[in-house]
Amino acid sequence: MNIHEYQAKQLFKSHGVPVPGGGAATTEREARELIKEHGPDVVIKAQVHAGGRGKGRIVKRDRTTRIYNDLTADPERYEGQITGRRRGGVRLAGGTEEALKEFRPMMEQDARLVSIQTGADGVPISAVLIEQQTSIAKEYYFSIQVDGANGQPLIVASAEGGQSIEEVNRTNPRAVLRVPVDPVEGFPAFRGRSLASRLGLPSSAVRPAGEMFANLYRVFIDMDASLVEVNPFVLTSDGTVVAIDGKVGLDDNASFRHGGYEEWRDRSQENPTEIEAEEANIGSYIKLDGDIGCVVNGAGLAMATMDTLKLHGGEPANFLDIGTVNRKDRVIEALRIIVNDPDVKTIFINIFGGLARVDIVAEGVVDAVKELNIQQPLVVRLNGSNVEEGRRVLHDSGIAVQTADELGDAAELAVNAAASGKRRTRSKG
Amino acid sequence: MSILLNNRTRLLIQGLGNEGQNQIRRSLDYGTRVVAGVHPGFRGGDSFSHGNHSFPVFATVAEAVEQTQANCTIIYVPAPGAADAILENIAAEVPLIVCITEGVPVHDMIRVRTALADSKSRLIGPNCPGIIQPASNCRVGIHPPDVFMAGNVGVVSRSGTLVYEAVDQLTRAGIGQSTCVGVGGDPIIGEQQQAILRRFNSDPDTDAVVLIGEIGGLAEQAAAAYIKRSMNKPVVAFIAGATAPPGRRMGHAGAIIEGEAGTAEAKITALEEAGAVISRSPAEIGSTMRRVLEEAGKYQPPGASAE
Repeated sequence: MNIHEYQAKQLFKSHGVPVPGGGAATTEREARELIKEHGPDVVIKAQVHAGGRGKGRIVKRDRTTRIYNDLTADPERYEGQITGRRRGGVRLAGGTEEALKEFRPMMEQDARLVSIQTGADGVPISAVLIEQQTSIAKEYYFSIQVDGANGQPLIVASAEGGQSIEEVNRTNPRAVLRVPVDPVEGFPAFRGRSLASRLGLPSSAVRPAGEMFANLYRVFIDMDASLVEVNPFVLTSDGTVVAIDGKVGLDDNASFRHGGYEEWRDRSQENPTEIEAEEANIGSYIKLDGDIGCVVNGAGLAMATMDTLKLHGGEPANFLDIGTVNRKDRVIEALRIIVNDPDVKTIFINIFGGLARVDIVAEGVVDAVKELNIQQPLVVRLNGSNVEEGRRVLHDSGIAVQTADELGDAAELAVNAAASGKRRTRSKG
Repeated sequence: MSILLNNRTRLLIQGLGNEGQNQIRRSLDYGTRVVAGVHPGFRGGDSFSHGNHSFPVFATVAEAVEQTQANCTIIYVPAPGAADAILENIAAEVPLIVCITEGVPVHDMIRVRTALADSKSRLIGPNCPGIIQPASNCRVGIHPPDVFMAGNVGVVSRSGTLVYEAVDQLTRAGIGQSTCVGVGGDPIIGEQQQAILRRFNSDPDTDAVVLIGEIGGLAEQAAAAYIKRSMNKPVVAFIAGATAPPGRRMGHAGAIIEGEAGTAEAKITALEEAGAVISRSPAEIGSTMRRVLEEAGKYQPPGASAE
């Protein structure tokens, strides 16, 4: 789960990591107060979860598709900027009036931020972070992530900050330092000072930088984070360090220890169908661009089902790992979400029962077809635990359904059904 | 000889909730030797019975191991207590620990991996389907037993349902399995694909291996490096998630494309360069393996039944 930059900075501040003075505003009154306290020269940052914010554009809702198409076709000419007419998600302003002029379009009712990562609808802007400007001598990169292969936290740092670390890694891999962290020792300040020194920070900044790194590690541990990233932190012209950006990813699996991370979560940044799927508790659902609605058990099989559809020329409307089905309501709830997605022209159910029993899945499908009055063509492939019983349930029900025993055949049926738009053809399997 | 399990495996089940009970019944029916349960405050008392089978239930792993000489534990404990259960088995020096549980926090797994480093234990999982070995009737997991058949091909996968999918295709193609290992879909797991490949490489019961990977992390690249360096048996590989969008977690906590190394294409390229035979479609794993075995002269159709 991602959180906003202003929230990341609240965490930084409460853990002793230096950040610029400032805060988040949603109303003009709040903005005025922040500018008064931290201005006159301020940075104004739209708070969204999407990446590419600085080079994205602030636009009204009815223009998102056009700007998105322009931006993806010709970034040079349509990229947002920090000053001037092409308003990006990060802006510089001097004085209250200029700052408010930047603030207003971001917080307008129908304002959206469009970047190459948001898709054609853009994303709503949840708040605006207003901070004092920092006088920068040099920019650096710092992050803590989980190194799966070694089973340890890994710190990555570079004296070439402010740009994509992947890019630095490609062009100048020696400029990227990797420091594995012994989880028993943690990351005490002396390790931080040693890293600061290797980064070439001046001697006067080594102590505060070392403490900053150690405190960022405490954020990582205290929050059960999967990522803490500061790109950039800067050496200021008066010789100290400040985290001027901040990104924190939280481990969804640890949310039970943190009250569901409720105070950090922002549902306005999530896809509404995905929220609906989560509330219906039907497993792991991700909205995609195609027209074949998928219901699959298991993350690997769900991905493989998408891959097979694409190989046969189809496009999945969603990823759905429905998990272990041992109650038919779960199937009905999943199909309700799929059927209500206006993009879905065909439904493809692919269940290979291990923990799940496919006869229960079949009963759920039969009930759902009747209860939800499903109009789209339905392709069902069942295999695994209690498969004979499951296939018999489908067959005896008399519902209009196409079936196949093998994945490739079933995917082909689904793709053909989507392509022809034909409804209710005869069974194959 | 075979990998991880054999007919001397003495299984301990930890976590006898509804799901644990259902699964252990199916393992007992499959013929697996279950010698002990661990479940503090187990409602069923101090033993568990199913048909003619029965085993004692203990409050701690240490007691269970001492009394029954269990040498393998399967963990069905829910996520908040799963890492603790793994640590308990490491402390009791159980040689093989298999954790099915999904949703274990990654920071808990950091602690587990630290404890594993200097231990006598090996871990498979978490968030995995477990291990199954048809020839010894040993099912340490949640597999649908019917699709499996004894034979000479090993299977290693991050995904559970893709093990079933691949095995179903193999069995239909007349290819049996030596051992099938689901290593798990989380960012931090016990043994990774590379370690399982190494085991298959020195296993006389295995002539070829199906490797099923997915997007995210670098485990497939490590597997590819091992194949290139040391593997002397054919490997057929499929990578799930070629069509997944970047930045989204596709169900498995570990299945997320962050940077170019995590893409299916990067993994396929690495495996192809290492000499693995790639099945682009998940529906062609079985037929690809059959071709590879026939070319190697290792195709052993079961019985004499004609196609």
